Amino acid sequence: MYKHIQAKAIAFLAIFALAAQTFARPVDIDLTRMSGTMVYAQVYQMVMHPGKYVGKRIKMKGVFSSYYDDATKTRFFGCVIADALACCSQGLAFELEKPHKYPDEFPDEGTEITITGDFDYVVEEGEEDISYPIIRKAKMTNE
Amino acid sequence: MPEIIEKISFYLDFPFVQYAIIVGVLVSLCSSLLGVTLVLKRYSYIGDGLSHVAFGALAIASVLKLTNNMLLILPVTIAVAILLLCTGKNARIKGDAAVAMVSVGALAIGYLLMNIFSTSANISGDVCTTLFGSTSILTLKAEEVYLCIVLSCIVIFCFVLFYNKIFTITFDENFARATGVNTTIFNLLIAVIVAVIIVLAMNLVGALLVSALVVFPALSAMRTFKSFFSVTIAAATISVICSLIGIVIAILAGTPVGSTIVAADIVAFGLFYLIGIARNGGN
Repeated sequence: MYKHIQAKAIAFLAIFALAAQTFARPVDIDLTRMSGTMVYAQVYQMVMHPGKYVGKRIKMKGVFSSYYDDATKTRFFGCVIADALACCSQGLAFELEKPHKYPDEFPDEGTEITITGDFDYVVEEGEEDISYPIIRKAKMTNE
Repeated sequence: MPEIIEKISFYLDFPFVQYAIIVGVLVSLCSSLLGVTLVLKRYSYIGDGLSHVAFGALAIASVLKLTNNMLLILPVTIAVAILLLCTGKNARIKGDAAVAMVSVGALAIGYLLMNIFSTSANISGDVCTTLFGSTSILTLKAEEVYLCIVLSCIVIFCFVLFYNKIFTITFDENFARATGVNTTIFNLLIAVIVAVIIVLAMNLVGALLVSALVVFPALSAMRTFKSFFSVTIAAATISVICSLIGIVIAILAGTPVGSTIVAADIVAFGLFYLIGIARNGGN
């Protein structure tokens, strides 16, 4: 009897997990569908007018990059879309949904990754206010 | 093919793509109108010189952190255009030497200032996009688009209103003066219009490629058409079509916008050159 209930519960959870994936929040801005020129222009808009994009679900494909800030003792992670001349690269910082251990659970620098998450804008107050866009609750895959 | 059409309509939904197309059409139309006059007056290279001056002024505006850099770029470029076009014959440093001096001087000072007083984290990106127009047309603000529409309308209005005078000055300035046309005023007007077009075109194709917008459509039209009116109309049509094709290819293929438009202009020139040969039976 107990085993029967357990099997039913597992089946229910499996179906629920599948359904949750199927009905996951749709992506509002899919940068993976765009050409390099369009991605540059779109990310430029997101950086210049962040208010219009806060809360939107973003999907982007680029290379993994990380940077350690000595002042705040924080490591930032980014998804960078490079261009041929490397002068007009664009990228966004991201924060993973579930905490990962660096460097073991992160890909090598320069590895191609796909990020899906919610766009947000951070304003750090200080002597000089620092502001930057970030993708929160991000899921990272190696697609 | 349906995939490409679907992709184009997907991209056309973005406001910044709509802005790019509006500005692209207007700028290419204006530049080609005056291009015919500049080519016939042997001032083809003036666009290049003035665009470098505009680049230098842009660098100064960035250093001064002006909110609207047009307030500095436009007057400086107009002043230099007047100096180059209106004092050419009486100046101590003449014609091409003056253009060359102003051109490289402004370019060097602009780059120097951008490096010393950097206000951006990505200098190479700023320089790349300003000089080669890699993406600047896709990063326009709404107010820049409105300014472009207003200035383009003024340029087209002036060209249509003074078409006959511009025509006379283009072919024979001495004859125009003898018939009572105030050539100084109209040369001044042409200088101001050219400067405005150059500043507008810098957003479309970048400072180094502006001359292509002025020269190629006019030269393409001259291969096939003979009268001033037909050459002007053909140059305007060729320029607008090439700009549209260039912008669409650039956003579809991910190529830099400015150089793609110029490549389209080169292909058009090649086509019209061949048509011209075929029409004249190889002569």
